[in-house]
Amino acid sequence: MPYPAPTPENFPLKDAWLPLPMAFWQIDTAQHLLRRMGFSATPEAVTAALRKSPRHSVQEAFQPGAVLPKSAALAEFEATVHERYRSLYQSDADFEEKRRIRRELQKEDGELFREYAMDWFFYAREPECSAREKFVLFLQDIFVVERSKVKETYALHNLQQTLRAGTTLDYPELCKQVSKQPAMVRYLDLVQNTARKPNENFARELFELFTLGEGNYTEADIKEASRAFTGYRIKDRTDFFFQKNLHDKKPKTVFGEEGNWDGDDVIDLAFKQPAAKTFLIRELIKFYLTEEAVPEAYIEALGEQWADHGFSLSYLTETFFQSRLFFHPAYRGNLVKSPIHFYLGLCQDLRLDVAPFDSRVLRSMQVMGQSFYDPPNVRGWLYGEHWINSTTISGRRQVVDFLFTPLNEEKLNGNEKRDLERARKVGRGNFLVTQERLQQVLGTAADDLAQHFTTYFITAPSRETYREALKTILGDTHSDGATQRIRNAMIALLQSPAYNLC
Amino acid sequence: MNTLPLTRREFIRRSAGGGLGFLAFNSFAPSFLAQSAMAQAPGPERDRSILVIIQLAGGNDGLNTVVPHTDDRYYNLRPSLGLREGLLRLNDDLALHPACKELHRLYDNGNLSIIQNVGYPNPNRSHFRSTEIWETASDSESFKREGWLGSYLDNACAGSPEEDKNNQDPAAVHVGDMIPQSFLSEQSHSLFGMKPRGRFDRGNDPADRAYEKLLQADHIEGNATYLQQTMMNTLVTERRVEQIIAKYKAQANYPGTSLAQSLKRVAALIHANMETRVYYVSQGGYDTHANQLVNHDRLLGELSAAMGAFQSDLDAHKKDDQVLTMTFSEFGRRPAENGSHGTDHGTAAPLFVMGSKVNGGLLGNAPDLGISEKEDLKFSTDFRGIYSSVLDKWLEADSAQILGEKFAHVPFV
Repeated sequence: MPYPAPTPENFPLKDAWLPLPMAFWQIDTAQHLLRRMGFSATPEAVTAALRKSPRHSVQEAFQPGAVLPKSAALAEFEATVHERYRSLYQSDADFEEKRRIRRELQKEDGELFREYAMDWFFYAREPECSAREKFVLFLQDIFVVERSKVKETYALHNLQQTLRAGTTLDYPELCKQVSKQPAMVRYLDLVQNTARKPNENFARELFELFTLGEGNYTEADIKEASRAFTGYRIKDRTDFFFQKNLHDKKPKTVFGEEGNWDGDDVIDLAFKQPAAKTFLIRELIKFYLTEEAVPEAYIEALGEQWADHGFSLSYLTETFFQSRLFFHPAYRGNLVKSPIHFYLGLCQDLRLDVAPFDSRVLRSMQVMGQSFYDPPNVRGWLYGEHWINSTTISGRRQVVDFLFTPLNEEKLNGNEKRDLERARKVGRGNFLVTQERLQQVLGTAADDLAQHFTTYFITAPSRETYREALKTILGDTHSDGATQRIRNAMIALLQSPAYNLC
Repeated sequence: MNTLPLTRREFIRRSAGGGLGFLAFNSFAPSFLAQSAMAQAPGPERDRSILVIIQLAGGNDGLNTVVPHTDDRYYNLRPSLGLREGLLRLNDDLALHPACKELHRLYDNGNLSIIQNVGYPNPNRSHFRSTEIWETASDSESFKREGWLGSYLDNACAGSPEEDKNNQDPAAVHVGDMIPQSFLSEQSHSLFGMKPRGRFDRGNDPADRAYEKLLQADHIEGNATYLQQTMMNTLVTERRVEQIIAKYKAQANYPGTSLAQSLKRVAALIHANMETRVYYVSQGGYDTHANQLVNHDRLLGELSAAMGAFQSDLDAHKKDDQVLTMTFSEFGRRPAENGSHGTDHGTAAPLFVMGSKVNGGLLGNAPDLGISEKEDLKFSTDFRGIYSSVLDKWLEADSAQILGEKFAHVPFV
């Protein structure tokens, strides 16, 4: 039987957001925190966490660290792209020639994108970056942009950097910064929004998807608010620019308040709405805790505290991740891992590097339903149960199979050979579970192996039944074919329903 | 491949291993498995009517799909987007977008009904909310979780849960990575998602046997059971579908677009007499806020060519009597163009219903353009009336029970 979900009757409201008492800080709770906050709970990480308090574990996980640097090639492209397009348009080359050059530029951008995506996977895989990068993913699912519309890789990189730096800001300030990020300005058509011809796209999503949620604003609020965001432009293809003469300077009435509002004012007005206190918290719960409805009373209580702390995101993460509600047994082991979580979790659990082959990794993400920086629509990914269907299940299984299949280096193409060589040079060549590694555990009793696998790879609800099944699959770990059986057992476990949950 | 089980029954029997029957082997088998292992296979439901939904995601611009080309007000609202050349005549006042050649041919042959100005009261202009309203058949003030097709599956299978669960074919199939909300249901039905292209078989591997063994472990309620069931159905269905698609010989020339390739796969499954009665495919990109002319032309061209090929293929395979194909989009777009040669989110729009059994012609009233530049179209046909007709007249179900209310039928079938 699953554990009954908390309600104010069986789990007092006043306790819900208090820190977990140290007496409950054990292997299971530490694993829960590490898997939810990041991507895995390896034995070393659990041991390290238990030496600290939950509070320090959370603070450390979110503390600002090294940023993901822009590659030299991407920085160079960004610095020169305006000039390159300008000379293209000014040249007297014929139509076909111009089209060819434009295609080249797009192709270059595509390559830069793949490089950036891979850089991000390498970076997020490092355990010390994982919690922050997962929170960046959370924010990317709020401030959605689709690569298929934005296109320019440097703009995506810049937006992501804003979100990364924003993980410790106050949320209204982050909203303001995002509204001025060229990727967002382009994605939600702010570039088309002028005093004479307002475009409502951004204003609508600001209220619906970033701050308040459906039902907490009127069509009139959107129409008026969109006038406040007029004049937002992109200069030289790369920089935000406020063009005064396109801005609507007439008074606007938003949420019943009349004034000569600009975009930042409208964001401040939105955060005076009661719905702003709870909107992001509801999203946070959906992303990190449960797909089931959590009683409103809990959400409202945290919303009040959060608003009292100026909507600080640091306050929110520190309070949320060490709270008693977060550790409630009803919320353990029942959240479907996202494809990125699944993939990076696999790498960390198996102590593997991210495979250096961009086409393979990025394609896998696509098949599993989470193309890097390219959600299906402005709503972002829906997370939870929505990740799982027959297509994505097959994708996940293939990813696991790849990790246990020897690499046939002769079959690699030129690019892959180059990438492999580079990865080995920088010490990132350990991306497959080799026979040698499997042989290291030969002779460990099936019982102990099954115990270890189920403790560290899956959550409590399935441990007992899985342990029995794994013992049968493993059989005698001394006899012929044992390496193969250990391999099969691990593949099966990593493809199983339980490993797909956290 | 011959050694792989091809039905869920067989899968259950064999994966038990050691010659022991599944039930004897595993005393804590999840109940749905035990039930399906015990139940008799039902008579296959061949020759039943089938519904294919094509989602036009993003909000298709109705006024540039069915064009009121004799109305000056249309051109006043759309100084740069108004279409004049190459229009495909429907009647004295209306014409299809020039890219809709195949749809026009179908219309002329009486195999396409165009229902005009479809929408719902108090329209919502958010993509998600309006998509949700269409997919759940709710009104704009209330929220439903179940999709209208999911409720249909619940309803169609009510009273015979064993039978439904034992069906070896999925109840509904979608192309794409996301399960459409239309399919969400109260009870669980086997759904299958496939890609528009590529293979999905995995070959035979001893690791698969181990995987099958773990799949049978007892899973605690909640997402684990959901995962377990999905994984099991997936194994069985993948093997079957793979074979069907590999063997299929299409009798029409499908373009290479995702939409056309998706419909080709749907045709293969229909041809193979899969028991699936609901298919869902999607075409994205209709959110034409800027530079609409070129993009919309491409989108409608792809749509028209794909639908044309699909219908020809069904005709050639003599499956056309069984299949009804319907488009929908979350909303139409504003009657007045915006300043970026595009259109913003609007309200009502026409939709297409295709099949050799449809009545053909234009149905419903064209939108009234006697409006100011800031106003929106007022719908004349409620989309739930169309759903009712599909449910009652085509799928032989009870629309009042499924939609929770009676809606006036639209006589396209």
